[in-house]
Amino acid sequence: MRQIEIRNLTFAYMKGADILKDISLSVSPGESVGLVGANGAGKSTLLKILVGLNPGFAGSVTVGGIPVEKGTLPKIRQKIGYVFQDSDSQLFMTTVGEDVAFGPRNYGLSESEVRARTDRALAETGITHIKDRPIMRLSGGEKKLASIATILSMEPEILLLDEPSIALDPKNRRNIINILNRLQATKIIASHDLDMIMDTCSRTVLMGDGKIIADGPTDKILRDKALLEENSLELPLRLQ
Amino acid sequence: MSKISSAITEIHRIEDLQKRDQWLNRIHPLVKLACTCFYIVCLVSFNPYDILGVLSMGLYPLILFMTGDLSITDCLRRVRIVLPLVCLIGIFNPIFDRAPMLLFGFAVRAGFVSMLTLIMKGVFAVLASYILIASTSIENICYALSILHLPGILITETLLIYRYVGLLLAETERITQAYSLRAPGQKGVHFKVWGSLAGQMLLRSMDRANDVFASMSLRGYSSDFRYRKSGIRWRAFDLLYLAVWCCAFLFLRNFPLFEIVGSLFV
Ligand SMILES: Nc1ncnc2c1ncn2[C@@H]1O[C@H](COP(=O)(O)OP(=O)(O)OP(=O)(O)O)[C@@H](O)[C@H]1O
Ligand SMILES: [Mg+2]
Repeated sequence: MRQIEIRNLTFAYMKGADILKDISLSVSPGESVGLVGANGAGKSTLLKILVGLNPGFAGSVTVGGIPVEKGTLPKIRQKIGYVFQDSDSQLFMTTVGEDVAFGPRNYGLSESEVRARTDRALAETGITHIKDRPIMRLSGGEKKLASIATILSMEPEILLLDEPSIALDPKNRRNIINILNRLQATKIIASHDLDMIMDTCSRTVLMGDGKIIADGPTDKILRDKALLEENSLELPLRLQ
Repeated sequence: MSKISSAITEIHRIEDLQKRDQWLNRIHPLVKLACTCFYIVCLVSFNPYDILGVLSMGLYPLILFMTGDLSITDCLRRVRIVLPLVCLIGIFNPIFDRAPMLLFGFAVRAGFVSMLTLIMKGVFAVLASYILIASTSIENICYALSILHLPGILITETLLIYRYVGLLLAETERITQAYSLRAPGQKGVHFKVWGSLAGQMLLRSMDRANDVFASMSLRGYSSDFRYRKSGIRWRAFDLLYLAVWCCAFLFLRNFPLFEIVGSLFV
C-alpha cells in the first residue's frame, strides 16, 4: 500500500492562478523523498496540502489510505509531523520544553511518558541546555532545532520537513541529517540544500512552476546538471 | 530601547517571574485563581463609606508581596497604565455626594470618602490580579479553568488572545525595525506610511496567528482542553492556603479589624 497517494492535484490560493497543476505522486512507507525546485515552485504549498492546511484543492489526496478532508484531519494529523519553513509559525508555547511537550501531552500520554519523550527529543537535537529558555529569545538556528524537536517528540509515522537545515551551523546540520537517517518514518524533505537531500533521500522529486518535472533516484536527478540549471538549481556542492 | 521591545521585555520578565521556584508559584493554580476571585468579590462588596474596612483588605496584597518576594515598585511600574483609570472611577463622587460625614473625627464630604474607598478597591484588585499573574503561567491558569469545566472554546480564546498580544508586539517590532533600518536618521515613522504599516502589522500578525493555530492543531490540539500540566498536584498546603485566606477575607469583611486592634490598646 502507498502511504501517500496524490492524484491529479490542482490547487490555487486565488481563483485563476493555479499554483499546483495536475500533480500525481505516490510515496511508499519508509521512503525518503527529497522535494526540490526553484523559489515559488510550490513545494511548501504541496506539503501544506498533505496536512490539510490548504483546503479546497481539486483531485484526490490520501494519507495512509485516508482521504484528506475536513472530517479526517485529526486522524491524519496524528500520523504526520510537519516542520514549518518558518520556525516562528511553529513554536508558540512559552518555553522550549513546554513546546516540545505540547504534542505528546495533547495525545493523552502519561506524564512520565511525556517527560521521557520531551527529554529524548531535546537531547537528540542537542538543545537540552535551552529547555527552559523562552522561545522568543532563541537564535534563528535554535528555533529551527526546537521546531524539529517538537515533531520528534510526537514520533510520527510520516515526517514532512520544510527546509529543516536552513539557519543551522554545519555541526547541527550534520546532526539533523543523522537523526533523519536514523528515523524509520516516511519522510518528505523540501529543501534547497541539495547536499542534504543527497545524504538523506534515495528519491528526489523536482518541481517547477507547480508541476513535477522529474521524479527518480536522487543520484540520477541531482547529477543532471542541465536539468537542474533549467530549474534555477545548481549541482550539489560536492559534485561541483 | 524602543517602546515595543521594552513591552516585549516586560512580557518576558513576567514570564520569568511565573517560572520562579517560589512557594507562591508552587501553589495549585486553581487555589490561587479561586482565592483571587473570592478576594475581589469580598473587596467590592464593602460599604462605600467603610474606609477602614477596605483598608484592612490591603493586608492580603501586602502580605503576599512581602512573603512572595515580589517587588512592589516593579508591580507599580507595570500597572501604571491602568492605575489612573482605576482612580478616575471615583473622581466625581466628591462633587455629587456632598453630605458631611465624620472621618477620624474630622468632618469631610461623604463623596470624598467614597472616592477614596473606590480608589483603594480598584488598586487592591489590580494588585491581587498582578500577584496571580506574576506567580501563575497562562497555561496553568487555563488548566485551572479546564478543571472548572469551562467551555473549551473559552479557554482556547484565553490562550490565543494571550499569544496574539505577544505576536502582535513581535510583528510590530520587526516591521518598525525594518523600517528604521531603511530610513536612517528619521525620527518615528513618517505619516505617509502609517496606513500601510498598520495594515501590514495587522495582516502579518493575523497570518502568524493563523499559522500558530495550525501548528497547534497539527500537534493534536482541539478545543476540548486536554492540557495537563506536569508537576501540578494537590497538596495539603494548597487547601490550607485557600481555607486560611477565605476565613481571613470573611473575617475582615464582617469585623472591623482596625477597631478591634485599636480597642486592645485603649
Ligand atoms: N498564502 C498564500 N497566498 C497566495 N499565494 C501564495 C501563498 N503562499 C504561497 N503563495 C504563492 O504560491 C507560490 C508557491 O509558493 P510556495 O511557498 O509553495 O513555494 P516554495 O516552492 O515553497 O518556495 P521556496 O523555495 O521559496 O520556499 C508562490 O508563487 C507564492 O507566491
Ligand atoms: Mg517553501
